[in-house]
Order: sequence, then structure tokens, then C-alpha cells
Amino acid sequence: RKASTSITSEPVLVAHWLLKKTHSAQSPRNPEQKIIKRVIALEGDIIKTIGYKKKYVKVPHGHIWVEGDHHGHSFDSNAFGPVSLGLLHARATHILWPPQRWQKLQPMLPPERKPLRREQE
Amino acid sequence: MYDHAFAQLSGFHCSAKRSEWSCRGAQALECIWPLKQRFIQGCASARSCFPKSCWAPFHCRMLRNALGKTFRFLGYTVQYGCIAHCAFEYLGGIVVCSGPSMEPTIQNSDVVFSENLSRHFYCIRKGDIVIVKSPNDPKSNICKRVIGLEGDKVCTSNPSDFLKSHSYVPKGHVWLEGDNLRNSTDSRCYGPVPYGLIRGRICLKVCEILLSKNSCINTFLMSGC
Repeated sequence: RKASTSITSEPVLVAHWLLKKTHSAQSPRNPEQKIIKRVIALEGDIIKTIGYKKKYVKVPHGHIWVEGDHHGHSFDSNAFGPVSLGLLHARATHILWPPQRWQKLQPMLPPERKPLRREQE
Repeated sequence: MYDHAFAQLSGFHCSAKRSEWSCRGAQALECIWPLKQRFIQGCASARSCFPKSCWAPFHCRMLRNALGKTFRFLGYTVQYGCIAHCAFEYLGGIVVCSGPSMEPTIQNSDVVFSENLSRHFYCIRKGDIVIVKSPNDPKSNICKRVIGLEGDKVCTSNPSDFLKSHSYVPKGHVWLEGDNLRNSTDSRCYGPVPYGLIRGRICLKVCEILLSKNSCINTFLMSGC
């Protein structure tokens, strides 16, 4: 199972061109740290949160909502809110080490985490 | 004719005929004789093809020179491009500021010099003027003054409000405000800004170019703004 915070667990090949679903970003709480999370919602989407101070959040302009795959044990937007796009560093494409975990990281949105309503609808 | 030319090349003094070489020793003559034969043969073959196909090697050489120069130019361009990119990313650069939110410290269209080392070494202090990626639009930059670092207590209400409200700057964030409080959208509008969005600190201001009466151009350098 992919760990939700993979700062030290696995080196990941990080592609520097945008833009799909798993991204590495500078942590909003600690600028020295980089975190890897999955992008759940983009600007304008309304998302139902898990454990955030507001039950429903509309992602503001220029921000994204990120979550780890392991809900409940993840330090993500449910803790610190939407993340500004300027903090986005790169997109994680592959897991390189250990060799038995070699894989391409698929852009996949869990069905229960789909945003409620998109801006254009 | 070939004898004379070959003798000149090899440094031997000779007379017109092959048999009358006045070289240093008979052994020397024996050594150079095969070379001389090859030289004469070479001259003859070159001479026979000289009028017809001399342009082919000449054009090839031109093309090779041009290609070499192009690749060298591209190589230098890539090298200097990389150095320039690293300098702008990690050291600093010239920035043109626009907007009224930092008046009177920085006017519209002022040119300033920003350095990026403070950001990498986490030396941004309260009161610094910084260039920050806009939280709402990652493609644009904003220029504001740092009023509070993480943990500081800041006043979040407008100066015109009667009741003042205060809050603490969260961890990993800074509170930004423009010097022109009446005409500035800053942290009072969009809240504390993550430290990771800071791009650089302004350390020098190149004042506007002034034209004096006798048309000479003066530029001033002011530091510490």
C-alpha cells in the first residue's frame, strides 16, 4: 500500500513537467519539507472534506486540494487547507526503490473522493 | 622544377639536376629519395585533377567550417543559458515593479534588484521587502513588505475599521502588507502567505533615470530600502 507521506520512504522519479494527479509540493507548514500527495480537486471544485474545520470547501482560485491515499493517517489538505499552486514543485511519475516496488504511478481518482460540483456545470 | 621545390621543403641546397644534390651526406640523400618520389607522384596526381575537381574539396571544407561554427555557437548559447538560469534562480536579478501598493518606497515602474540567497538560507526578517508568487495566480509576482513572521501577532483589520482584530501568523507562513495601506491588496485580503511562495528579497533600488537641464543622464543607487 502506498504510504501517504512518502518523504523519506521511497525515492520517486519526479518529472518536472505538469500536470496530472500525484504531485510533490513544498509543505505549507514547513517550507524545508516536500510532501507527496494526490491531487483531488482543482480550483472551483466543491469538495467534501474529512476532518477539516469546514464540511464543504470550494477550492479557491489558484489553489488545489491534495490528499494522501491513506485517509486518517495523512497530513494533507484536510489538515492545512487548500494549497497554493505556486508551492507545486513537480509531478511524481515512478517509484524507483526498492526494486520490488518498481511501478508507474497511475493518475487515479478514488471514486468516493470525486468533487461534488465542478465550476463549469 | 620538382627537384627544386622538394629540396626547398626538405631544407637541402640543390642544383637544377637530380644527380647534383649537394646535401650533407650520401646517406641523407638515400633516406629522402623515397620521400621525394612520393612527393613528385603526389604533385603529379594533384596537378592532373586540379582544373576539374578542385571545387569539391573546397566546398566540403566550407560546409564543415560553417557547421563547426554553428555547433560551437549553439554550445556557447546553451552554456551561457544554463549559467544565466542558475544565476537568476539562485542568486538574483533585476525586477521592474508596477503598481501603487508600495508607495512611497517603491513607485510605479521602479527598477529594483532582488537577491534569492536569503530565501534559500531562511534569512528573511521582519521589515524586508520581498517578491512573492501570488497565492491566487501562480504566474504573477507581488512585491510587499513582511510585517510578521510565524508566531507573531498581527492586526488583521483595515486601518479604517473601528474595532481592531488580531491573530497569530501560523507556522510556515508570513504576513505581508504594502506600504500604501489604503491602496494595497495584501494579507489583509488573502490571509497569511506560505513561506515557500517567497521568491526573493529586494536589496537595491535603481532610481529612475533623471534628465537634467543640460541633457546629461544621472542614475542613482540607493540601498537599504
